[in-house]
Amino acid sequence: MTRRLALNRFIPRTRRRSVVGYGAAVAVLAVTGMISTACSPVEPAGSDDPTSGGQSSAGQDVFGEPADAAQVKPGGTLTVALSADPDKLDPTLSRSLYSRYVFHTMCEKLYDLGPDAKVVPQLATALPTISSDGLSLTIPLKQGAKFADGGAFDANAVKTSLNRHLTLAGSARKSELGPITAIETPDPKTVVIKLSKPFAPLTAALADRAGMVLSPAAVAKLGANFSSAPVCVGPFKFASRVAQNSIKVVKDPQYYDAAKVHLDSIEYRIITDSSIRSANLKSGDAQVADSLSSQDAPTLQKDDSVSVLQSQSLGYQGLTINIGNANGVGTPHKQLDTPIAKDPKVRQALALSIDREALVKSIFNGLNTVACSPVSPKSEFSSDAAQVCPPHDPAKAKQLLSEAGVSTPYKVEMITSNNPDSLRLAQALQGMVKEGGFELVIKPVEYAALLDQQDRGDFELLQLGWSGRVDPDANIYNFIGSTGSQNVSGYSNPEVDKLLTDARQATDKAERVKLYGDVVSKLQQDDPIIYMYRQRNLTGVSKKLLGIQVYPDGVIRTAFAGFAK
Amino acid sequence: MRRYLLNRVWQSAVTLVLATIVVFAGVRALPGDPALALAGEDRDPESLRAIREQYGLDQSWLVQFWQFVSHAARGDLGQSIRTGTPVRSMIASALPVTIELSVLAILIASVIGVGAGVVAAVRRGRPAEWAANALALLGLSVPHFWLGLMAILYLSVALGLFPASGFVPFFTDPVANLHHLVLPAVILGTGLAAVIMRQTRSSMLDALSADYIRTAEAKGLPPKAVVGKHALRNSLIVVVTVVGLQLGALISGAVVTERIFALPGFGKLTVDAVFQRDYPVIQAVVLVTATAYIVINLLVDLLYSVIDPRIRVRGEA
Repeated sequence: MTRRLALNRFIPRTRRRSVVGYGAAVAVLAVTGMISTACSPVEPAGSDDPTSGGQSSAGQDVFGEPADAAQVKPGGTLTVALSADPDKLDPTLSRSLYSRYVFHTMCEKLYDLGPDAKVVPQLATALPTISSDGLSLTIPLKQGAKFADGGAFDANAVKTSLNRHLTLAGSARKSELGPITAIETPDPKTVVIKLSKPFAPLTAALADRAGMVLSPAAVAKLGANFSSAPVCVGPFKFASRVAQNSIKVVKDPQYYDAAKVHLDSIEYRIITDSSIRSANLKSGDAQVADSLSSQDAPTLQKDDSVSVLQSQSLGYQGLTINIGNANGVGTPHKQLDTPIAKDPKVRQALALSIDREALVKSIFNGLNTVACSPVSPKSEFSSDAAQVCPPHDPAKAKQLLSEAGVSTPYKVEMITSNNPDSLRLAQALQGMVKEGGFELVIKPVEYAALLDQQDRGDFELLQLGWSGRVDPDANIYNFIGSTGSQNVSGYSNPEVDKLLTDARQATDKAERVKLYGDVVSKLQQDDPIIYMYRQRNLTGVSKKLLGIQVYPDGVIRTAFAGFAK
Repeated sequence: MRRYLLNRVWQSAVTLVLATIVVFAGVRALPGDPALALAGEDRDPESLRAIREQYGLDQSWLVQFWQFVSHAARGDLGQSIRTGTPVRSMIASALPVTIELSVLAILIASVIGVGAGVVAAVRRGRPAEWAANALALLGLSVPHFWLGLMAILYLSVALGLFPASGFVPFFTDPVANLHHLVLPAVILGTGLAAVIMRQTRSSMLDALSADYIRTAEAKGLPPKAVVGKHALRNSLIVVVTVVGLQLGALISGAVVTERIFALPGFGKLTVDAVFQRDYPVIQAVVLVTATAYIVINLLVDLLYSVIDPRIRVRGEA
């Protein structure tokens, strides 16, 4: 009831009908579905209900536990219901987030992430040794590891992969690796990376696809078609792919830690609709389902046969304001002739009109968390300054609009993705910002069209997010820096640019922490992006399965899972 | 007959060329392109440019069209921009799934539709007809998506009778294959069954009041023979026409059904390709669909002459 009241408060009367219609449809589904668990009440945000089957309440991270070998039986095929089809299974060319779920089982990286979002060695044996000038990284490598084709993993293989990431046409890794000038291999178990300028985000990049090592033999044989039969070092190896439908990997007996691998194979089945993914989880046709809807998660949390893993995203969801992207991203900035583009006070007013707490509680069942900056509180580079949050203050918003000489209601058009969650968010925002003196006009568009409009600068305001990376640089520089490749706001502030460049090149952690705090303070004055909330990665896991884990990078770790005895 | 056939083939070729042009231009008129859709949130202008160059998207439409047509003429449908898989192999693996699903759906729909139609006609004005009519109305008005979702909730989740998703090829395990396909085929067939039922009912009613039926009854033929041999056979031509005409609806229904049940079929391939702006896949899929459509229409025309010899006689005259 509380939820409904909260929703009504923010959704205008004209829009309520569609929400009520949606609610009615959901109600019909719930009744006709006749599944008793589907009628469980929604847990309030932040509550800690001991009756929820030992599961965490909303708003708490649940990463999952590693499997206890004594409780797991060997063998079996795990089916993972994936919400989207991965793109090319080539670590150099891949851009889709979902490919990381598959890569995790078959392409190990130099480094990985731990549950605390800190970088830990994987195919390396220790964190890199960085020279005092920050221009050289020495990485010690694991010995005895083999690629799935039997080839030996060594420094040459790492060099081949890094060179491929840097030079292959269409590489998605090149920009992540920074200003690398040379890769040296003094001996088979050591790699030295030379840089022209210090580049602090490099270690974190090597904990993602840029750190995956490809079999040199497979690269030589397949070239740019590596994705047709990818070969790396990993607990599993590629078996088959049915385009847009499924991917299968099978256990690799040559893996250096094969004794820890319990499953025979893993099938990733693409099921785009979230309610059908949930149904597959309940019916047992899939044992893991990613990206659960925040509408389905509370119900699944009450289900005795399913656990819901939760990890807060390192990214954010926000509103991007078009300030200087009049002619498209990549062209010289040209300021738009609108009050919201010209005057930071108008943007501040919009930020003050948004009640982030109410948004996450009413729209996302309290599963997402409030965000006011691009720096995740989970990041080791976060600070109090980076987490400051302006209060919800519609009165002050109106005052700022008046100071800016803007008559209210001030009409602003917002483009947003046309999926149900985005539309519900947009409608709630529409009701919310009205109190601050804004009239939000919602323009829903399909995702590819949204990207197109965004890059052409054909928008006033747009709602979209970023999935997030471990290093804050990857979550800020490209979006805010004057020359950032994805600066679709067209924002340019030399002071912010300097802070970001200094943070990139700083080798001292404390210095980087301070610099990112300063960046956030500047961003909250200029508001090119109004950060709203951080999504929670919600993963459903059958209780028949042990050892599934999800860390803050959102990647579901299935490699060492097994079916319970 | 030969001239008729040649004429039909010529018309079909023109239709095919037009369909190719319309789809080629239409898909490019959509906002966004494969490079953008592929890059998603992780875009930078340099790699977008590299992707566009690699797939010739930076060339003029005319050059792109010529390349597509000249390659297609040699049987080369290109590679998926998203996954790098050859489009021909994608279609080769997806098409049998949709054909099997559609054939099953037609079979199920025909059995239910013709059966219910005959009952409704013979038992006119009785509860059996009302029940058949109500079922037909339900079949026509309930969307596949909702019906599929309900089927999964009731029959897969609650009762565990059928798998909620997945596919096993027929030659790997025929039983598992049918087990996976029955539910989607029933869902896909519901709309068609309703249409067939309505058509069978009305043409059966026409046939039952015709003179030759009265003659057959007067000759003392048993009612089963009158209905089965005379009335039903003469009504079937309409049913065959309906199945042919509804094939388009069946394919569009397969799009939804395949997505719900995660079947690796043609419909799912098409929709995903459109969302991902995977031009080579969309173009090839439309080319194959248009060809199939034209061939099926030809076959339906030929079937007429098998069922009703008068058509053959007229055609040969």
